[in-house]
Amino acid sequence: MDIVYVELDRCIACLNCERACLFHKFERRIGSTANIFVTVDMDRRQIFAGTCRQCETAPCMTVCPVEAITRDPLTEAVIVDKETCIGCSMCIVACPFGYIVLDESSRRATKCDLCGGNPRCVQMCMAGALHFGSIDSLAERKRKHPDLGLGLCAVSDRGDLK
Amino acid sequence: MMTARTVVENGVVPTLCRMCSNHCSIGIHIADGNMIDIAPLEGNPVNQGKMCPRGRAALDTFYHPNRIRTPLKRKPDGSYVEISRNRALDEIAEKMLDIKSRFGARSMGLWKGEAIGFLQQEEYPRRFAHAFGTPNYFSNDSACYNGRFLGHYLVTGFWNPFPYYAQADLILLFGTNPPVCHPPFMAEFADAKANGANLVVIDPRLNPIACYADIFAQPLPGTDGALAWGLIRYLVNAGEYDHELVERYSIGFEAIAAYAQKFTPEFVEKETGVFADVLVSVAQLIIKNRPKVSFYMGAGLEHHDNGVDNVRALVVLSCLTGGLDIACGLTWPENMPRNKLTLYDELPLENEEPIGADRFPVLYELRKECHSMTAMDFMLGNGDYPLKGLIVTAANPAVTNPNTEKVEKALSSLDLLVVNELFMTRTAQLADYILPAATFLERSEIHTDPKFQRVYLTNKVAEIPGIEDEYMLWHDLAHRLGFGETYFPWENEDQVNRFILEPSGITIEQLRENPQGIAYLPLTFQKYLSRPLPTGSGKVELVSPYLEKLGFKAVPEYVPPYHLRKKSDVYPFLLTTGARKTLLYHSRHQNLKHFRKLHPKAELEIHPDDAAGLGISHREPVRIVSEIGELVVEAKIVHKAELRQGVVEMYHGWEEWRINFTTFDNINDPISGFPLLKGVPVRIEKISTSDMH
Repeated sequence: MDIVYVELDRCIACLNCERACLFHKFERRIGSTANIFVTVDMDRRQIFAGTCRQCETAPCMTVCPVEAITRDPLTEAVIVDKETCIGCSMCIVACPFGYIVLDESSRRATKCDLCGGNPRCVQMCMAGALHFGSIDSLAERKRKHPDLGLGLCAVSDRGDLK
Repeated sequence: MMTARTVVENGVVPTLCRMCSNHCSIGIHIADGNMIDIAPLEGNPVNQGKMCPRGRAALDTFYHPNRIRTPLKRKPDGSYVEISRNRALDEIAEKMLDIKSRFGARSMGLWKGEAIGFLQQEEYPRRFAHAFGTPNYFSNDSACYNGRFLGHYLVTGFWNPFPYYAQADLILLFGTNPPVCHPPFMAEFADAKANGANLVVIDPRLNPIACYADIFAQPLPGTDGALAWGLIRYLVNAGEYDHELVERYSIGFEAIAAYAQKFTPEFVEKETGVFADVLVSVAQLIIKNRPKVSFYMGAGLEHHDNGVDNVRALVVLSCLTGGLDIACGLTWPENMPRNKLTLYDELPLENEEPIGADRFPVLYELRKECHSMTAMDFMLGNGDYPLKGLIVTAANPAVTNPNTEKVEKALSSLDLLVVNELFMTRTAQLADYILPAATFLERSEIHTDPKFQRVYLTNKVAEIPGIEDEYMLWHDLAHRLGFGETYFPWENEDQVNRFILEPSGITIEQLRENPQGIAYLPLTFQKYLSRPLPTGSGKVELVSPYLEKLGFKAVPEYVPPYHLRKKSDVYPFLLTTGARKTLLYHSRHQNLKHFRKLHPKAELEIHPDDAAGLGISHREPVRIVSEIGELVVEAKIVHKAELRQGVVEMYHGWEEWRINFTTFDNINDPISGFPLLKGVPVRIEKISTSDMH
């Protein structure tokens, strides 16, 4: 399946993704909390961006007492049915990454639903840091970019040995 | 819902976004005659198939319930009454002729706004002014943009030198926040970084991009010139500069080498607040990476009373590193051959005393821009002749020009103020006539991009009956004033587009088929090796004979900013205004509901230690007081790294909280005439609870 992932060292914290997500939800009246998160840690001068990984074995889905969390048959995204959700927040406790949250206005769980297969955040990421693809395409990207800070030795795009 | 007609019932119309001036390629999605969505288009190197949330809000602007839809006329009691467009234009024309007969044509002025755009949108009022007989064309460019233009132009003879950052080994950013000001540059920065480039960020304010900086330094506002000279000195004394450029393609090296000597790292530290060893480290990074060094100077440098020479000094530095017209350096863009609409050769009016041309001759000579701050004096009867009438198209000087109290008084004193606008801005609220303006979705215009040397035609996507585009405003007025057939003969903007494009060898039809633009000239570099630079001497002017002739210093000497020349205990803080917000564009877009959710109100950014010293807590209202005015806004205590201590920052575009009540219109850069908008001495007052009741 395809997920939204971040090439972290391309992110300049413009916040376009958060806004794209938020406005998408305003417009469709489906909430008022963004489901992609950009954090700027001023103490360590670090930028971190991330969103739901659409886990294959999703703790949020497993723990939901009312089966409000299911898998979208089309995109395979882990989605929340707002009508069924009772806002008990068990999923939020269960998610190891903090990417499912309680929506500010509806008080129901909310998370990335991949916009039905054309994620707005990716469209609006002008730095080219966000991608929509398989998790292996992320691995492939990392193998191509030795400068990601992973301490790996590899051949860069320009062909010179790092 | 207003009646709007789209050009097709269903489908996608390609065009360029104009929610800011980056012009990204977008597609407007239309269903059943309604514009329902905007998505980015692939194929334009400017935005590379991406866009930002600001662009997507163009539809919210177009369909906004508060849009001005009919012409309005002010009644004596101050209220407005609807009036037909024909009648409004008849009356406006009549009043213009009356002003002309009583005071002379030059007592009418025209003011173009940022919201309208450039190229032909700027050339219409310039053309109209000269056809009418007045030299008085104004725009917000007398307080923004031209300072950087002049700083570059006076050294190299060209502008816009946008680097191809991805090819740089070192990028130096001065007073700019690219993710917010130039979203399309972000991908290039990320590419540069992935290629291992070093980054230096110089700014009193820490923007997130500085998280990646190898060196981040927070100088005192307005001291960038001292920093530049410190770097020049280091490079010159180390012999680490482009010797061939200096010997064969530049003038004035001895003079700058001699002037630079006093800028020792210790002197620079005292002046700028940047530690001496930081300066040395930056200099060594430049030496290590030159010539593949990109310099980018943002608006942070020009809003000072010494801005042009600070920019000039940095351009001199960039040339010394060998960056002249290389891909990652000061690129020399070539313009598309095209017909201009201006009449400066056919109907020159420099003898008609253009407003401000005597005080700031460079601004008028090189930009044909009159000085909007001086215009306020002319409106108030304190000029060499009266300015009695003004047509403003989508500019908002009542918010964005300095000294708001004076601006409002001046605009209110006019015999005729016409404002062509989308919304009831602060400026529109002072007008005698308000005309409904068209958004970029309602017109078709030529756009050129100097960096990629591409030309584009934007498409008209929709129209609202009764709202005409900018060209028709000038066309219809010109025909009423008797010079229409001579100077505005084209029936519509499509005909104007054909006229503009004629000499280019590119046709409208080709542009229609290529909505992502056509390259008008191949990109070439180091052109100065085979042809003279467009300066007076044909060489890089490290010193400017042109400026010297006008009585300025030939060397871009560093003059300490106002706040260092006149230190004040009464106003111990330095207010910087104008750092942009991602979703707002100057005074635009603050009426979009979803944007306001994220930028709900004005805030004064303040360092936590400064706030503690004043006993101010987060979100507490404070009073900003300068020598000329004051304003109450909420304090936003930022992270200690985010702002230099002693510096406070506030956004410049709020309609409700106008910071320009505190900024000066009469402390100006001697070359550009720019007002001091960054580095304004202020004091911050805690408002005691008893004050608030």
